[in-house]
Amino acid sequence: MFSKKMIAAGAAAVMAMSLAGCSGGSMDDSSSSSSAASGDTITIGSVTTNSGTAAAYGEAEVKGFELAVSEINAKGGINGKKVKLESLDDKGDATEASNAYNKLAADNSVLAVAGPTISATTAAVAPLADQTKLVTIAPAATADSIETGNYLFRTCFKDSYQGEVAARFAAENLKVKKVAVLYGTGDPYSSGVGEAFAKAAEKLGMQVVDKESSSSADDTEYSAQLQKIQASGAELLYAPYYYSVAGPYIIPQARSVGFEGYVMGPDGYDGLKLTGDKSQYDKTFYTTHYSADDTSNTKVQDFIKSYKAKNNADPNTFAALGYDTIYMIKQAIEKAGKSATREDVRNAVAGMSFEGVTGKFTMDKSGSPTKSVIVLELKDGKPVYNTTVQPK
Amino acid sequence: MTDQIIMFISQLFSGLKIGSVYALVALGYTMVYGIIRLINFAHGDFIMVGAYVLMLTIPAIVAAGLPAWVAIVPAVLVCVAVGIIVEKAAYKPVREKGNSMTALITAIAMSLLLENGAQAIFGADFQTVPTIFHLPSIAFGKLKLPGDTLLTIVLGLIIMIGLQLFVKFTKQGKAMRAVSEDKEAAVLMGINVNSTIALTFAIGSGLAAVASLMYCAAYPQVSPMMGAMLGLKAFVAAVLGGIGSIPGAMIGGIAIGLVESLTKAYIGTITGGVITSAFSDAIVFAILIVVLLVKPSGIMGKNEGEKV
Repeated sequence: MFSKKMIAAGAAAVMAMSLAGCSGGSMDDSSSSSSAASGDTITIGSVTTNSGTAAAYGEAEVKGFELAVSEINAKGGINGKKVKLESLDDKGDATEASNAYNKLAADNSVLAVAGPTISATTAAVAPLADQTKLVTIAPAATADSIETGNYLFRTCFKDSYQGEVAARFAAENLKVKKVAVLYGTGDPYSSGVGEAFAKAAEKLGMQVVDKESSSSADDTEYSAQLQKIQASGAELLYAPYYYSVAGPYIIPQARSVGFEGYVMGPDGYDGLKLTGDKSQYDKTFYTTHYSADDTSNTKVQDFIKSYKAKNNADPNTFAALGYDTIYMIKQAIEKAGKSATREDVRNAVAGMSFEGVTGKFTMDKSGSPTKSVIVLELKDGKPVYNTTVQPK
Repeated sequence: MTDQIIMFISQLFSGLKIGSVYALVALGYTMVYGIIRLINFAHGDFIMVGAYVLMLTIPAIVAAGLPAWVAIVPAVLVCVAVGIIVEKAAYKPVREKGNSMTALITAIAMSLLLENGAQAIFGADFQTVPTIFHLPSIAFGKLKLPGDTLLTIVLGLIIMIGLQLFVKFTKQGKAMRAVSEDKEAAVLMGINVNSTIALTFAIGSGLAAVASLMYCAAYPQVSPMMGAMLGLKAFVAAVLGGIGSIPGAMIGGIAIGLVESLTKAYIGTITGGVITSAFSDAIVFAILIVVLLVKPSGIMGKNEGEKV
């Protein structure tokens, strides 16, 4: 789906935006009245999920934000101004996210927002971003539907893209013919990725032998569906769920009903909670944004080193995406110039090319990056770098 | 045996697996309701408390060379303590001043307090519980029956019979029944109503600890919200079985588990894909509505026109 046409469109957008950026720059000295960046600090807002089901994601993102902000300040800030992070919790709730976002939007010193964490809260915030003309970069919200093509951007790839890449990996690298899908219909992430995988799998000539669903993505018992999948003769089960469900429930239950094939999942498997015998997690793969073992990217090791020094722990994907998000905002504000307004910053983000710890990418028209996807494999319960699937 | 029959029996057993846990939880609901006519909505959260105690104490117990299930002892003690504190601090004052509606709202408030309290102490993230026990499956040819499920059912039956005998034949049990029949008259007969109710809560909370052990053995993960949906479904089970009836809770729990599992397995095929397995929760709650309409007292309940 990321055809050459799209990249060309992206490149055209970059040029257009850089022109816009220039004209903004020339007005630098004359206008300073309503400039949001006035004063000697730049405020970047963040709305993340620091409590509830997805708390682990939000907390990691904030750690990534904080690391990037402290690095930027140590090197003199953005355009000579110190950066301040105004961090709010949305509890994983759409209403809370809207309230937090409105609070940031009402504060004129806020130039850009990093967040929200999950797709559900991002969907709630997306129209607000367009209304308040405040550029918002969601680090890890992968749902296709959040795109507005205007003020909302993301650092991660989107669900349909992730499902397609997983299907490609299953067909080309694992060489399976029969696949089954299990997803939670009540959860847009789970069903979005699952549907995209099933569609792509059929296109690639694989047979989708069973398609099962659960009412929510946080059920505990899946044996009934898994028994049917086992009986269908599938060689690979694609189960797009979160780390807290796939780890302790789906994979062990699949093994206990006798399923010995591959299990594949999306980036929600990051930080998978393991229980019992580690060997049951063998033959499990997942697509993600970042790998600590990725030696092809020099930024990765530097990032890991400074993250460890600050937090005394290894960074995960969400910390990496959060870190990149702040640097994207930095790059955009720098380009927009000293007296940049919110609109200038938005124009600088649109179509930008960026190089970070989660890869090299270009923003497409809809606000999602076209980027490579990393596939990790669980070995002895630990995620190990398997391959990088390049965009087609 | 054909594959279809093996599949059906396996589905029955996965229904029994979750159903036996619902049954244990429903026993706690029904116990408290039977005595003081209070639906203790915080009961699901007592299970969460028990699960956290298990998670925290199992490593120490295993390190001391004891089997992991010994953690049930601290879990029961903590749950009983929490149950009695909740009763004395929240339910008793409300029961003396308010009516059954205020008591119900207090129970919901306690539920939220426990959930948010746990989140403040342990954080919102999921945490895994170390393996408690793993019984080998019993195999009949191609059919595998999980040992853990059989143990949960047997344990549920033992507790059910024990409770029934306790309530029928012991002095405290008779006091409980007297309090449930007529509180004022029980006082006149020299029964200490408050200590009888406290005992009821202690037993109900102790049952929650046992339920959390069996739950964590099957689903080894804890989070502050884990008790909410579990409690809700066990409540449906208790209503289906006839709330207040001890054997009813057992029957209701197993029935809900079976309905859930069979819906997930077959509803898609039966309806030609119109209704998918995703509807299993909706069907469970639809059962609650149908029961309330057709036989409000439940399968085993007595008809006494009780307001719920």
